[in-house]
Amino acid sequence: MKPIVPKKHEPIRIGFYICHCGTNIAGMVDVEAVAKYIGTLPNVAVSRHYKYMCSDPGQELIQQDIRETHLNRIVVAACSPQLHEHTFRMATAAGGLNPYHFQMVNVREHDSWVHTDRVEATRKAMALARAAVMRVPHHKPLEVKKVAINPNVLIVGGGIGGIHAALTLANAGKMVYLVEKEPTIGGHMAKFDKTFPTLDCAMCVLSPKMAAVGSHPNIHLWTYSEVAKVDGYVGNFKVSVRRKERYILEDLCTGCQECVNACVFKEPKFQDEFNLGLGKRKPIYLPFPQAIPPVTLIDPEVCLNFKRGRNPDGSHTVSDKCKKTCVEACGDRKAIDFKQQEEIKEITVGTIIMATGFQIFDAKRTPYYGYGIYPNVYNALEIERLINASGPTEGELVMRNGQSPKKVAIVHCVGSRDENTNRWCSRVCCLYSLKLAHLIKEHTEAEVYNFYIDMRTPGKSMEEFYNRVAEEGMHLIRGRVADVYPDPNDGTTGRLVVQAEDTLTNKILKIPVDMVVLSVGLEPHPEAENLRRMFNLSCSSEGWFLERHPKLAPVNTFTDGIFLAGCCQGPKDIPDTVAQAGAAAAEALALIDKGHIEQEPNTAYILAEECSGCKSCIPLCPYTAIAFDETKKKAIINEALCKGCGTCVASCPSGSIVQNLFEDAEIFSEIDGVLAD
Amino acid sequence: MANTIQPPLPDGKWKPRIVAFFCNWCTYTAADLAGVSRMKHAANVRIIRLMCSGRVDPQFIIAALTKGADAVLIGGCHPNDCHYSEGNYKCLRRNQMLKRMLADMGIEPERVRLEWISAAEGEKVKRVINELVETISRLGPLGIPQKFEEWDREMSELTRQMSKQQEAVDGGETPVAVKTEVIHV
Amino acid sequence: MIAPFEPAVVDKATTLETLLETPAGKRMMTCIQCGTCAGTCPYGEHMDFSPRLVINMLRGGFIDEVIKSDSLLRCVSCYACMAKCPRGIRLTDVLLPMVKEQVLVTQSAMPAEFQKSLENMHRYGNPMGESPRKRAAWTATAGTKIPLIAEVNREVDVLWFVDSYMSFYARGQDNGRATARLFNALGVDFAILGNEEKSAGECGQVTWESGLFESLAEYNVKLFNKYKFQRLVTGDAHAYNAFHFRYPMYGLTQPAEHTAQFFARHLDQLKPRLTRPLNLTVTYHDACCLGRAVGSYDEPRALLQAIPGVKLVEMVHNRVNSLCCGGGGGGMWLDTYYKQKGMERLSERRVKEAIATGADVLAVSCPYEISRFEDALKVIPHDKPIVVRDVAELLADSLAS
Repeated sequence: MKPIVPKKHEPIRIGFYICHCGTNIAGMVDVEAVAKYIGTLPNVAVSRHYKYMCSDPGQELIQQDIRETHLNRIVVAACSPQLHEHTFRMATAAGGLNPYHFQMVNVREHDSWVHTDRVEATRKAMALARAAVMRVPHHKPLEVKKVAINPNVLIVGGGIGGIHAALTLANAGKMVYLVEKEPTIGGHMAKFDKTFPTLDCAMCVLSPKMAAVGSHPNIHLWTYSEVAKVDGYVGNFKVSVRRKERYILEDLCTGCQECVNACVFKEPKFQDEFNLGLGKRKPIYLPFPQAIPPVTLIDPEVCLNFKRGRNPDGSHTVSDKCKKTCVEACGDRKAIDFKQQEEIKEITVGTIIMATGFQIFDAKRTPYYGYGIYPNVYNALEIERLINASGPTEGELVMRNGQSPKKVAIVHCVGSRDENTNRWCSRVCCLYSLKLAHLIKEHTEAEVYNFYIDMRTPGKSMEEFYNRVAEEGMHLIRGRVADVYPDPNDGTTGRLVVQAEDTLTNKILKIPVDMVVLSVGLEPHPEAENLRRMFNLSCSSEGWFLERHPKLAPVNTFTDGIFLAGCCQGPKDIPDTVAQAGAAAAEALALIDKGHIEQEPNTAYILAEECSGCKSCIPLCPYTAIAFDETKKKAIINEALCKGCGTCVASCPSGSIVQNLFEDAEIFSEIDGVLAD
Repeated sequence: MANTIQPPLPDGKWKPRIVAFFCNWCTYTAADLAGVSRMKHAANVRIIRLMCSGRVDPQFIIAALTKGADAVLIGGCHPNDCHYSEGNYKCLRRNQMLKRMLADMGIEPERVRLEWISAAEGEKVKRVINELVETISRLGPLGIPQKFEEWDREMSELTRQMSKQQEAVDGGETPVAVKTEVIHV
Repeated sequence: MIAPFEPAVVDKATTLETLLETPAGKRMMTCIQCGTCAGTCPYGEHMDFSPRLVINMLRGGFIDEVIKSDSLLRCVSCYACMAKCPRGIRLTDVLLPMVKEQVLVTQSAMPAEFQKSLENMHRYGNPMGESPRKRAAWTATAGTKIPLIAEVNREVDVLWFVDSYMSFYARGQDNGRATARLFNALGVDFAILGNEEKSAGECGQVTWESGLFESLAEYNVKLFNKYKFQRLVTGDAHAYNAFHFRYPMYGLTQPAEHTAQFFARHLDQLKPRLTRPLNLTVTYHDACCLGRAVGSYDEPRALLQAIPGVKLVEMVHNRVNSLCCGGGGGGMWLDTYYKQKGMERLSERRVKEAIATGADVLAVSCPYEISRFEDALKVIPHDKPIVVRDVAELLADSLAS
């Protein structure tokens, strides 16, 4: 697309509008003075201030002025262009002008909200507005760039968020690639026993959705896989996925588990990751009965076939020293392949949903709670497994010594609200602690003591749930636990003393208990930083993926076409995760169904007559969008590849590269404008 | 055109004027975040938005300084985080070269500051702006436009003297040695 | 993990009235009243006003009620509340000492033993009331050369600040003699101040009387300026605390180190000299001023593990969760008062944990602890003998004679 050359000698007539934004801007900036001042500048035909420029009447005001006073340039001083630039471009277009004959001035986020002196803030608003007024005469009419979108979607993470987003998109007829690092989908939710506040069984509601993912014709489910590389842009991402070797051919395995029964290890002997080490598994195993896909895998670290065939450099070779009873059991299905290699799959997708979840806080980082030191101190997720009917104790809540606890302390805010560990409130712990209190009492009739700082139960039916659990006769103590240590009067049973101040009675409590449950907080996933770099996202200072706007774009990111679902964006409960996953899917659908993406026409082009053919721009372009025409001895920019960063423009020694929307003349006038007082 | 515009609020006292070039994806957004979080900071900085810090042409910086800015602040994404892969790296290289040049011209290196500020670092926008304003307040005005005026006056004086001398020569009079002054730049 | 504290957060002019305006005070405004401080306080159950309540009374404008009570006489400045505070509030070194000082002003009578110690410190420069002229007398028994800085008449590498307990108290002198042997074995260029030295002023402001502390600090800093040395090393954990956190405000420019830190830093040179096996099971008690205050948990343990034949075992409460011996914050001179109030001696609580480990030796790194734990062992029954030794003493025992 070549810019249309503007009509020569057409007089510039600028309409300037400054928004009050209620009192958000007008409270700190004298909008009337700004409008009056801008009205005195050359080329300005209309200068107004108005309560809400983004409202319908505000936009209508612009259109009416264009029609009646023949404006040909529009400047609006209001909030950040990230919020309403599009709105006002559309209003400019509706008035009959090219939408790019518009310039926006940020006098809210960059001015009224951050300054405290009204005179200074007004002066700054005038300078910024003046710069735009001086810039806008140079604006050229441009056209929106349209790029076709690939309808396939990549979803990273197969927890409840990824599952829900995948099903929503697949049901809408889109092809979904669901990539999960673990051998099965299900995420943290698959480990939970019951869910608050309804106390319905987590697996009962989750497993039908997992099964649906496993059998859906529109979902490519790649478990035990990781994204290795991401290139490209919205509409056309090129992604490499590493499918790790599980030594079982997924297509051939029927999930019968006869191989597991046939393994030479008659009894499960190795730490079971799914049960957080509380249970045991064999070298060949299915993580849990409802795992999706129902495909076993082999742990080469402990499987005799690999162990005995280990090379000095750590790699594995198949050994003959094992009986291979599993292969025998598999028989004609031939699903076991000891020689399986990891595989890299290349896919192209138009949009991506990140649903990579969280990790629980490592309670060893708060050493005075004794986690990892005293066997009877557990974290909350371990308790979920212990009271789960499909867990290592088949739902019987017993401690490592085989006994059932008679007194249990639940410690809230472990690794939350603490400057020494994590500063944020993890949002779900109060409620899951109440749930665990109820379940522990139900399973064991133990006395349960909940030590909390503040009881936080917002959300639908949550306070009612708190009420219900309190009525059941829990001890609810307002005080953060300060110390957990073995009962000095009882050295042998492993009983612990939990020490805290009851801040409502000013009493120091030292309560002997059999079991301590640490309600650990939620933390960013350990891979979040790598993923952030790979997908070009931003993270908050805590390490959560950053949403585009905290209120108005909570599932969008700063990278177009990548959306967020669930706890990768911040701690949240299951209903909120599912709601967000649905929203992310809807955002992806909105892009896909439009069929194309509108891109800012901020690409660069070469003024051939000026180009000296020095080639210095060519290696600078990260997208190899610049080529060299050997016959004409000139550089040429491929507009389809150009992303509009402007790096080549800044480096061209002859000044023969122009970036639309950011032309040198436009920027120099802006510099003049901000400094002209 | 610039000369036709009169300052609307003359208050006499000098305050640093700083032009900032922020990349759209990280630092401009961080400045928005500072706004949304109401992090109050000095009002001396005028932000100009570019898509990438790689677009910052050294001429923009020189233009800003010669048009009356006391300092220039450039904000880009952290290394490896550039929205366009490596525009920030290009910016860094140019900036290092420019700084050497400016130093030769007698402009303090503190007057051009390059900072990597991610979209999440609203707090850093506030800190960097406040620090820079403090530094420049200490250094005092750069005043290049005033110096230009001074040089222009000196030049026209010289020209006047030269032409006077020429007239004298043309008029057949004995040439008079021009009294030259040493000009301190 | 819990980070060690930064020195100096409020200036000397701050009072209870202006505290909430300072950065440290603004932190207090963020207190969530969780009660961790009270829960971890070794005397929490004996306090009418727990640290948590003190903060809320200050914020609510009721601090006068706190000052009228003798509740805060029970604070032993052990840093436990501050180390675990989820809001990083400066309790031990900012808020509580400021309140304690006002308590002293308000109370009609101070416990006699405590009063006497402060007076001694003022008059003689040591809490025991010994003659300052005998301060260096112990060096005659050291069996090794201990140079006086006034006599060496040149810059030395290490100025060893001996302080009162090691100068006057018999079991403290054991530590002094051991340290001197270790210095000589390592070939350290060191000297002491001798009779000129006065008590460092305990932990400074943490010991209630900022006026007394100020005069001692000013005296010692003036003395330091008279001589030339590279670093200040002391075996007294409380003196080290004062040098590290407070003395820089009074003009100390050289770095200060505790002997445990110093020897750990020179462990590579020291280790080949530790040849005599001791064959002992040792448990180490973290001194509050060395552990929680600055995070030196590993150095003393590394030293102990370098001794051949030493097996290190841990007590239930260790490192950040260590239990105080009860000697800090003036507690050294308040035992009679605590007894009157029916409070258990903290040293007794601590030796019970040491006995439970089955160790032969309770190793310490603060001179207060020697006397406190030895006294406690006299009253707490135990079958297997256990002795209290400073880390330096054990190191010196292991040196080839």
